[in-house]
Amino acid sequence: MSAVAVTGLGVVSPHGEDPQALFAALLRGESAVRPIFPELAKPAAAATVAFDESRWFTKLQLAGVDRVSQMAVAAADLAVKDAGGLHGAAPERVGVFGGCGMGGAVALEAAYRSGMATGAGRVPPLTVPAFMPNAPASHVAMRQQAQGPVFTYSVACASSAVAIAEAAKAVQRGEVDVAIAGGSEALIVPGVVMAWQAMQTLAAFPAGDAQAAATAVRPFAADRSGFALGEGAAFLVLESAARAKARGARAHALLAGWGHSCDATHLTKPEAAGQARALRMALQGAGLAPAEVGYCNAHGTATKIGDPIERDALALAWGGDLDRLKVSSTKALHGHLLGAAGALEAVITVLALAKRQLPPNAHCDAPDAACALNLVRPGAVDAPDLEAAVSSSFAFGGSNAVLVFRRA
Amino acid sequence: MSSSLKELQDLIQEKYGIDPATLDPNESMRDKGFDSLALVEFLFEIEDRLKISLPDPDPSIETLAGLAAVVDRVRAQQADAGEPAADTSAAS
Repeated sequence: MSAVAVTGLGVVSPHGEDPQALFAALLRGESAVRPIFPELAKPAAAATVAFDESRWFTKLQLAGVDRVSQMAVAAADLAVKDAGGLHGAAPERVGVFGGCGMGGAVALEAAYRSGMATGAGRVPPLTVPAFMPNAPASHVAMRQQAQGPVFTYSVACASSAVAIAEAAKAVQRGEVDVAIAGGSEALIVPGVVMAWQAMQTLAAFPAGDAQAAATAVRPFAADRSGFALGEGAAFLVLESAARAKARGARAHALLAGWGHSCDATHLTKPEAAGQARALRMALQGAGLAPAEVGYCNAHGTATKIGDPIERDALALAWGGDLDRLKVSSTKALHGHLLGAAGALEAVITVLALAKRQLPPNAHCDAPDAACALNLVRPGAVDAPDLEAAVSSSFAFGGSNAVLVFRRA
Repeated sequence: MSSSLKELQDLIQEKYGIDPATLDPNESMRDKGFDSLALVEFLFEIEDRLKISLPDPDPSIETLAGLAAVVDRVRAQQADAGEPAADTSAAS
């Protein structure tokens, strides 16, 4: 099997649209989580994106294009530009593999509000094409003229990690010359935020306290209380290492392996054994022993239930080498992008490898003894010997996805 | 000239930022970027703004002048039926 190179990175993130600036902000421990929607009964915080859609669309082009698709188009375009373009790939040999958990939440909420408004409520006519979850990938395909396989993976929080793995398989099998792979999510609207609040998984903080909101997400900490929602999009350009070399492209990293599994036990409660299966499969596929992997960008949602289970899964997979694995969950700083989380965290993991620097596990002054891991302390960024790193995404529904990257 | 044309041009300017001078009323709107989805959304906006009910998408609506003629006709029918026109209610 030929190696798969990551030749392009593009993000529309709560920390901006420059992957290097995003990574630098994470190294500094800058949180993008802010209070939102003060009108809600329960305090809410999220990491939102200051997105200027006019850089990517005319007003006429925006008809029926939800925010989730707008950000996907932008991030994918940035990734393709970072890769130096598609370099003559035939359109039918270019594929788009996009992850999305919910689809166009902004359009859906607007439709509910206007349709059920007092009086003659009307629903905008393009609500369906705006909210369908595969719209982002299709918009990316239209923008990039990708006429090969254009697929959407909706696997909750693992959506875009699954999409990236499936894209790598298509590259390895020779089904596509270039894959544009990643995900997008944009569901920071009152109705969806209230639904997540009702799920009892969001971090608590005092109303109106912006500083407390910024530090509310504390992965693996004894006083953790959940995550904050995030929005954004991230895409990678994947191609065979041979093609990348032939065209003189810079490879940020190699996507060396991936693992999938399903707990098949509970819809929302994770299970260590299932996660460990995905971790082991990913290492095996990459041909790496646990001791050869120096960093894990953890799923780390900072929920009471999830974090110790993830620790147990890492312990099962890494065994006696667990202490050699540095771990951080960057969700403390950029929030949980759900269907786009795997892609954003893949970009962060790739940059960690390329720079041999590790983003901290922020806001964890007192780690939970049940989450005993070699967490990346703020300031301890240098990892001069780093050769390989993993990014984990564990979804509601029990689906687990793990990506393994190596230095190019 | 259609009495509605100027209103539609103003609406296009406001909604899409397209200068009326760049959109010849007798040229194909499709060629100016109004694909079938954009046109459906624009018709919905016209209905909301002008408080009228347009017929189901008419494939003959190819140009802005053609669309304005349809709006004129609908308004005339509403006036015949005794329904108040939107602009008179605004003036009262």
